Order: sequence, then structure tokens, then C-alpha cells
Amino acid sequence: MEPVITGTETLTEPPQVGVTSGPAKPGPSVSRSPTRIALERLRKDKVAMTCLGIFVFFVLVAIFAPLLAKLEGQDPTSYNFDLIDKRTTFPYSGASSDHWFGVEPRLGRDLFARWVYGARPSLLVAGIVTVVTTILGVVLGLIAGFFSGWIDRVLSWVIDFILSLPYLIFAIATPAVIISVIYGGSEGTSPEQVARVRFISLILVLSFFGWAGLARLIRGQVLSLREREFIAAARVLGVPTRRVLFRELLPNLIAPIVVSASLALPGYIVAEAGLTFLGVGLMDPTPSWGVTIASAQNYYDTYPLWLWVPVLGITILVLALSLLGDAVRDAFDPKTRR
Amino acid sequence: MRRLRTTVVVGAVIALAAVGCSPSKSGPSGTDPTSKIGAAETAMDPDAKGPAPEVAGAKKGGTLTVYSQSTPNTFDPTDVYYVDSNEIGKLMWRTPTQIALRNGKAVLVPDMMDLGTKSADGLTWTFKTKGTFKYEDGSEVKIEDFAYAIKRSFAHDLFSNGPTYQLTYFKDGDKYKGPWASGDAYSGVETQGTDTLIIHLAKQFNDLPWYMTFPMFTPIPKAKDTKDNYKNKWISTGPYMLDSYTPGTQLKLKKNPNWDAGTDAVRHQYVDGWDFKWGVDDVANQKQVLASAGADAASLNYANIDASLIPDIEGGKKNQLVQGDSPCNIVFQMDTRKIPLEVRKAIAKAYPYDQIWQAAGLNPYIAEPSTTILPPSVAGYKKYQPIADLTGEGKGDPEGAKKLLEAAGKLGFEVSWYYDNTKPIPQQTTQIRKEALEKAGFTVKPVGVTTAELRSKLSDYDAPVNTGQSPAGWCSDWPTGGSWFPVLFQSHSISDGSSWGMLSDKQLDSEIDSVANLPGDESTKKWAELDEKIMGMYIAIPRYYDKLAFVVGTSVGGAEGDGTMGMPFFCNMYVK
Repeated sequence: MEPVITGTETLTEPPQVGVTSGPAKPGPSVSRSPTRIALERLRKDKVAMTCLGIFVFFVLVAIFAPLLAKLEGQDPTSYNFDLIDKRTTFPYSGASSDHWFGVEPRLGRDLFARWVYGARPSLLVAGIVTVVTTILGVVLGLIAGFFSGWIDRVLSWVIDFILSLPYLIFAIATPAVIISVIYGGSEGTSPEQVARVRFISLILVLSFFGWAGLARLIRGQVLSLREREFIAAARVLGVPTRRVLFRELLPNLIAPIVVSASLALPGYIVAEAGLTFLGVGLMDPTPSWGVTIASAQNYYDTYPLWLWVPVLGITILVLALSLLGDAVRDAFDPKTRR
Repeated sequence: MRRLRTTVVVGAVIALAAVGCSPSKSGPSGTDPTSKIGAAETAMDPDAKGPAPEVAGAKKGGTLTVYSQSTPNTFDPTDVYYVDSNEIGKLMWRTPTQIALRNGKAVLVPDMMDLGTKSADGLTWTFKTKGTFKYEDGSEVKIEDFAYAIKRSFAHDLFSNGPTYQLTYFKDGDKYKGPWASGDAYSGVETQGTDTLIIHLAKQFNDLPWYMTFPMFTPIPKAKDTKDNYKNKWISTGPYMLDSYTPGTQLKLKKNPNWDAGTDAVRHQYVDGWDFKWGVDDVANQKQVLASAGADAASLNYANIDASLIPDIEGGKKNQLVQGDSPCNIVFQMDTRKIPLEVRKAIAKAYPYDQIWQAAGLNPYIAEPSTTILPPSVAGYKKYQPIADLTGEGKGDPEGAKKLLEAAGKLGFEVSWYYDNTKPIPQQTTQIRKEALEKAGFTVKPVGVTTAELRSKLSDYDAPVNTGQSPAGWCSDWPTGGSWFPVLFQSHSISDGSSWGMLSDKQLDSEIDSVANLPGDESTKKWAELDEKIMGMYIAIPRYYDKLAFVVGTSVGGAEGDGTMGMPFFCNMYVK
């Protein structure tokens, strides 16, 4: 569908790629951008709103973790050996008014505090990585698609190259490399330092490998868009390239970007927990769901509280975000009829 | 002795994570986790004869499946030192002498030979064979084959994992390099007629008959020795022989038709075959063994039980848990060269035994607080009144320790050690120890290193730390003080890299030597005295004696632990 260009001032408005395909509405026809239409659709989607609510809930839990732990009167790292049966290594009791989710076998650390704090690295890693990969992917995709020629060839080669690298091996190797670069070898580094390096390296590795897919997608979109007349018109009018890229092309790419980001977020949460579970991600003493799941995995029947609470946390969060991502895609896709 | 593949010698922190194994059974109702291990006495029975006494209720037939996550490193008898392959080897290789279990106690008995006769100067031992024996192929065992096996053990470059006592104690042990490098002529061993083996020593070695229970003394016919390839296809003299072997994965044994039960005082041939499977996930596998569905009823897992399974055991599966002793004692050692005695006493006073015990996930099934040097499975163990603050238990007394430090004028003394900063348990125990010692007025500097570096750091006695170096525990090679004190506390222990406390005291050296040269029974008592004396020098914080606690399927009979190895004793097992 052709973009409607009514005058130069519309160049500052997002050009419209699609025309509303929704049902005819009463009242005067208002010109609305596809993004607004999509958001309206999304707002009416009960599943999407519920999922958004769940996501917001987890974000609040993560943000207010210290407050919640204080409310309970515990913190995530102190040991409570008095609560542990020396004979069996299990706690004497399960959940209680002092320890809402019980305590960890062996060390007696409070599981509620570890759970609320554990939401932080998951969301933080996934959030940062999603933002970084989206920005990188969009910018490089735009550049590659718009300029073609040698820039495109180089960037496309880089994208293909990154997509072909085994990311797990990098995830394993990077922390050691960072440690030896920063601290000149691992000797003398404290667990907290190692944990911090692991956290940073997780973000670096996931970001490094995450942007390439989106960049390729954006490049494809740009290739088809840049031959359109409104772009040609803008260039003829002498609009600077940067402006063409970010004012003309980018608004037309909102849909794929939003969809990609909303589907990537739960993916990175799973990646963080998965890598941590495998022992190459975060590590103790950092409270993290992946860390807890890794140490609790053998206790699924004998001390279920330890394992299942973080598993439920990840499952619900990822499920909610995935459904939300689907809903966003449906809302932005003009072909979806509902 | 080396435990499975994570040796105690490697370091206490590792020992924390991988709790070892242990032997003799503590009675039929041996599932009371608090059951203490009884003290062993040096026992020898020179008159023991085959056949071995029948196990009550034993049946013939069936196949037993044995699982473990850790994999034996080799099955070349000369190269076997780890306890897993050593114990499995008892099914296949008869040796000059052997250890029998009687009421859970280790007793040295003749196997292919008698217990030996010592010459007046103690430097020549004569062993006579107890009958005639055949290899699995029906050919006869010759006395020269015993001599050849001993010569073979000197090729330490080829068999670098094997035990090394012969290099120190046997005549010319430092010069002879095995039959390939030095030829057949070796003055340390000779044969007479068809039934006499004579061993010449460079210095007295009263525990030689115990040493001769090791698989490296099993006869090997020179003509059939394939050198490097012998570890893949070996020759048996015991009740079972090689059926198929895939290194690292599986070993199947079948009955050896040429084994004569009438000559063997230790072994039985109840089951038709053994199927060892390695590389399984221990925890999952232990659950499987406990469930005992179908073929799993006739199976066992020889790793110590995982703490997550304790509720299963206490919830009605007690009869599937077999408990016993282990030859190991785990400690946290202090370098006496770098820390003055008063400060060592203060460390002991402040030491948070209980917290570290709990953080390490120890429990009475797999460990018992230790207060001595010798573990209970070793002859000479005596449970004397623990030296002050070396109790293996308690929460530590920071105020009291601070007073001691102040009295010594050493407030702020720096204590440091290496630990693995990539694993949660060493990291957590380090944190606890650090906090406890800081509370007592020490300056504490734990040095985190990676798993890969840890081993070499711990064994470097010149490293800039003053506690926690390796070996962070010790396991007997045989159950006498002779495999402890001369190894750990003499001046040469420092250069050998196997010292506790880095003692280097000429007077102590000669005291240890004089006890080592006493006849067995007399030395036993002296070792106990020496134990208390050296413990009183605060050379190490005693932590725990390893115990054995493994799970068996519901139809496994005759299962008990071998306290000399910390492994299940396979020779008495049958399928119900």
C-alpha cells in the first residue's frame, strides 16, 4: 500500500505503510498510525493484558526485592545453621511465618529472599540484552540494507559469520578471558568478583550473538522499502541520509522490531537460566533462579519447595512474555483478522 | 591410597564436595546414621585356608550390575592404585596375601602364598606358595611369574599411577627401572625351586605382607605380557575373568573355570557374572537402585549416598543402605613452619567446626567428626580424650581465641589458604571460616583460584599461604600406622609433598622409625601414643573420618563394606 504523503510536514510524522483493515468505525475517520492501531488492538486482548500484568508484577518484585525481603525480615545471603538438621542436612521445617518459602537445605539461606532477589538477574540480563541487541540489530540492519554496495557486503558477511559461531563455547570461555584480562589471572579473585564478571560476560555474549538475526531481518525489510517512492521522494528533496534512515524508514519497521524484541525477551530469560544451570552463567553467592535450580535439581521429590518455586517463577514469566509477544505480533500484523 | 578419581590428597576442599567411600560394615542394622565405627586391630590369620566360609543364605547364579559415575582409570594390575579398580581387581586377581573381612574387620590372610618369614635383620622376606594355581587359560602359575610382576612394577614411567613403596623399600629400588629398561636381572627379588619367593629390602618394611595384597603383586606370565596393551586384556587367577571391557564405560566379568575355590580363603563365585557400568549420574542412579524395578533389584551404586536421598532411606529403605568405614581422615592442616604454636591453638579455638560441617553438606551417614590422626579403621586407632579444641565439633569460640591471640601478642596474625572460587561449597566454607577467624582477631586472606590451578597450588609447599595445603586428608594403603606416620610426619614428607603440618624434627623422625621397625602388635600401641603426641602439636584441624554408605538393590545379598578401601566388598555378594 502506498504511503500517504500530504505535505512536507508529514515527513516528521511516521508514514503509514498499512491502512486500517479493522471494522469500519462510526464517527469521523481519524487518521491513525499503524502503531496506534496495533496498541488499541492489544489493549482489547485479554490474554495480552493479563500477561502484561504478570510481567509487570515480576518487574516490581525484582525492583522491590530488598523491600520484600525486609518485609519478611530476612536477607538472601545469611546462613541459618540453627534451622538445619545436622543429621540429614535438611531443614527442620518447611515454609513458616519467618521463612515464607522455607530455607535452603545445608546452608539455611532464606528461600523467599533468594527468590525475590533471583528475579533480578534474570530480568536485568534479559532486559539489557534485548535493548542492546535491538538497537545494534536495527542500526546495522538499516545501514546494511540502505547503503548496499560494499557496506552491505561487509555487514552481511559479519552477520553470517556471527550466526555461524557456536555461542555456547563463547559463553564458557568469555568469563575466564575477562578475568585474566581484568585481574591478571584468576588467582586471588573473590567469589563476588567472579560472579560479577560472569554477569557481565553473560550480557556481552548474549548481546554479541543476539543482534545478528534481527539485523538480517531489518536489512531484508529495508531492501524492499528503500525502492519505494516516498523514500525516493525524500532523497530527491535532499533530506539528509540520517533523517531518511531514522525518520522515513525506521517508523515503517516498528512492527518487526517490536515483535522481535517481545519474543526475544523471554528467550534471553531462558538463556540466562539455562546457562546458569549448566554452570557457565551466574554463580553463587549471586541469588539467581538458575543457580537455585541447579543446586536443587536432585531434591525435586524430597524437598520440592526449593526447586519448584524458582521453576514456577521462570515458567510463568516466560510463558507470560511469550504469549504477550504472540499477541504483539498479531496486533502488528495487518493480515491477522480477529 | 587413592580414593576414586578425586583423591583426598588433592585437597580438602575437593574432599568436601566429593565425599568419599569407606569400608567395614557396622553390623547388620548398620543404618543408624550415628553408628560409630569400631576400632580395628591389626589382625592376621596365617593359618586361614580355602575354601572361604560360606555366606549365610548365599545362592548361586544371576548377574550383578554395579554402577558408578566415576570411572576407574586403568585395569593394568601394576598400575592400579585407586580404590575402585583395586576392589574390583579382587574378583580377578589373586595376590600373594589378601585381606579378608571377618565380622567387618580386615584380617590379613594368605592367598597364593603364606604371610612370609622375615630374616633376623628384617631385610629379607621369604614367601612360600600355598599349593598350585592356574591362570584362566588353564596354564600353571609359575613362581617366576610373581617375581616378574614385581620387576614389572619398577617400570614406573610406564605405570605411573601405581603404588611406589617398592621404589623406596626394595633393594636397588632406586636403580632398577623395570624389565624393559634394565633387563631381567634384579637383585631385589629371587626365586627358589618352584614355590619360594625371596624379597630383599633396602630398609626394614614390616608391613610388606600387607603391601602384597595390592594387585601389582598378582602373577603375570612374562610371555603373555603385552606391556601397554595389558590394561585392555589381562589374565585372571581369581573367580572371575574378563568377558568384555570398554574403557571408561563398561566391564563385564564371567566365571573363571580354572579358579579353585578350595585354595582361596577369601573369595566366592556366587554370581554368574558382573556388569560394571560407569559414567552414570550418581544421584539419578541411586534413586534407580533404591527403586529396584526389574533388573535394578540386582544392582548397586558404589558412590556414597547423596544427601538428597536421606529422606528416602529414612522413609523405609534402610535395608538398602550398606554402611561401613573408610580408610580416610580429612583435616585442614596448618603449616608449623609459618604459624607459631600459640596461634595454631587460637585457630583451633576459633574454628567453626559445626558450621563448616553443615555448609559442606556432611551428615552422619557419610562422615564422623574426627579427633585423631588415624581413622578408626586403622589398627592403632585409639579414641583418646580429644586435645583441647581439636574436637571436630562445636561452633568455635572467637572470644577465647582472641584472648589466646592477645596473650601471644599476635593479634591480627594473617591466615591464608587457597580455595576453588568457581564451586559453591569451597566458596561457602571459606566464607564461614573467614568470618569466624576474623571475629577472633585474625587477618584472613583466602586466595581464590580456579579448579584447574587448585591442585598445583595446594601441593606447592613454598606457596605464600599458611593453612589448608594438600594433602587435606589421608587414606591408608593398609590398615596400620605404618602407612600414616612415616608418610606424613617425617622430614622427608615435605619434599615428598605429603606432609601434614610440615614437621621437620630429627627426634620425631627417629621416633617414628623406631616404632615402624617394631613387630606388628607392639607397634600398634605405640602408634596410638604417637597419634596423641603429634595431634598435641596442633599440626592440623581434624575434620571428619569418611564413612561408607552405598545403596544396593532389593535382591542383592551379602553386601558389606570393605573398610580398607572404602568400597563395597564384592567377593561375598550374591543375588537373592
